Amino acid sequence: MTAVLPGAGQAPAPGRAGSLLRAVLRQVGTAVLVLAVVVLLWTVLLRVFDVSPYVGKTPAEVWTTLFGEDDSAELRAEIGALLGQTLLDAGVGFVAGLLSAVVLAAVVVRYRLLEGAVMPVALVLQTVPLIALAPILILAVGRGYVLVATMSAIVVLFPALVNIVLGLRSVTPQMRDLVLVYGGSPSTVLRRVGFPSALPALFASVRIAVPGALTGALLAEWLATGKGIGYAVVSAAGRSQNARVWALVVVVTVTALVLYLLAQLVEAAVLSRFGRAEAAR
Amino acid sequence: MPLPRRAARAGALLTAAVLALTACGSGDEPAAAAGEGGGDLGELTLQLSWIKNAEFAGEFFADTNGHYTDAGFTSVTMDPGPGAIETLVATEDADFGLSNAVSTAQVIAEEDAPLKIVGTKFQKNPFTILSLADGGNIATPQDLVGKRIGVQAGGNETLFDALLEVNGIDPADVEKVPVEYDPAPLIDGEVDGFLAYLTNESITVQSQGIEVTNLPFADNGLPFVAESVITTDRMIAEEPERVMAFLEAEIRGWQDALADPAEGARLAVEEYGADLQLDMAKELEQSEVQAGLIVTPDVEANGLFTITDELIEQNMATLEAAGIDIAAEDLFDLSLLEQLLEEKPELTELPA
Repeated sequence: MTAVLPGAGQAPAPGRAGSLLRAVLRQVGTAVLVLAVVVLLWTVLLRVFDVSPYVGKTPAEVWTTLFGEDDSAELRAEIGALLGQTLLDAGVGFVAGLLSAVVLAAVVVRYRLLEGAVMPVALVLQTVPLIALAPILILAVGRGYVLVATMSAIVVLFPALVNIVLGLRSVTPQMRDLVLVYGGSPSTVLRRVGFPSALPALFASVRIAVPGALTGALLAEWLATGKGIGYAVVSAAGRSQNARVWALVVVVTVTALVLYLLAQLVEAAVLSRFGRAEAAR
Repeated sequence: MPLPRRAARAGALLTAAVLALTACGSGDEPAAAAGEGGGDLGELTLQLSWIKNAEFAGEFFADTNGHYTDAGFTSVTMDPGPGAIETLVATEDADFGLSNAVSTAQVIAEEDAPLKIVGTKFQKNPFTILSLADGGNIATPQDLVGKRIGVQAGGNETLFDALLEVNGIDPADVEKVPVEYDPAPLIDGEVDGFLAYLTNESITVQSQGIEVTNLPFADNGLPFVAESVITTDRMIAEEPERVMAFLEAEIRGWQDALADPAEGARLAVEEYGADLQLDMAKELEQSEVQAGLIVTPDVEANGLFTITDELIEQNMATLEAAGIDIAAEDLFDLSLLEQLLEEKPELTELPA
């Protein structure tokens, strides 16, 4: 993810729209391939491990549950509402996590002394399992959005922080000297040179943060709020509603995949605008 | 005539050896004839509904006193709950499970699970909404409105939904909070009420010197049987002898447990649940209190684990009120229990 600008970057480009279209096609192709592999593995593994048909539903059965039964429309509406809640929870966590990562990264890069204070704490948050942290967090902040934001943000924070710090540090001494010579302060260096050179790192973090925020939201829903897909899956499993469990898991998995692809596309679009199409790979 | 004598002796030895070998080869058959309960029924796996505490005193007795092996099982494994009992039994990860009429009925009705209840331990269910007397103090179903109630994910949610349904309370008026099985959120004041067992958490909280209020499901529109033995249709059809042997061992175990509640508590605290750090006073009380759920006038007349037709009707009314659409014959199959009690009438006796 180093921001090298090879000569190819300045070569007569095939046009921004063209390269973006190619990126879209490539992403969609990848998505279809991934889905095909997952469906194949799913089918084969159920067979290989001889999973009871009562527990292990095949892709076709999940499809029937979602689209082919009398109450499918009702189930879809229900799952839709749950998914909306989960996306809201994940969104809250995503924003909270990335914002804190950016702010902390700026602080760490600007005031090196603070690195020793920030990084170990972030690392501890990353290392302690969320399930163990959950009861303490619930007691501390209750079961509302603050908790969802906190839990989801914890998942997102550390990888984003490390990535963005590296990005901000990728400013070359020459560039820094240039800004300083023209009378800029170290904060100007960070703002004018640091953030633009950290863009690839930032978007890589966004990409990693999307599934991370979703995971955090699902955990928070399961352990604390009792809403959304995170809780519905556990609840349905406990009630032996196995078809519903599969349907929920499939929906949330596909959603995560789509969101990840979207993040990749946005990344490609932004980086090509900044003349860094190569870094988008 | 030394030679022929020797030959005869050798021949006899050889015959004996061959006989012994054949006996070993077809081991199952002779053993089956010898066993008291009808033979080698293989390994038994029982899925409990809860951790190994005094709730399963009868099972501990049946194991300790050898009733399972006497009935023909080679070994018994008891898997503690809570969990998706119906799934574990339907997939035959466990031969038998202990669940309740509502949870099982819902899984049969919605998921077409091939399961039946073949007998029941508790005639009355011990489910309650537990609250603190100087806190939520939930004494009537209407008191639930506007309260935060801790409900554990899974089958207990089905029960809670049913409680609201039969009492005409809109689920939107009650805040359902996800909790685990530890009543700490109730004591901390994080929830106003907590779905619990009269015979378990309710006693635990009281034993900490806290005054509690109970809203027992059985007295508030939801009478149904609990700690009911469930197994698969396949087991009932193809291996009825295992079902009968299991019920026999269970009945004998509970006869022992009812005769000696103190030993039942000791088995839970010191042996089967030794790693759970159970409290002896609480287990002893549970052991004594639950006897009232197991022994009713009907049970005194008909025997342990039986379910009268009236009780089945009452259960079906409960299920209908809870919005679970199922026929009695799709939920209960007591034919094997009846057959067993006819063959061995001594099983209907209760300890004096």
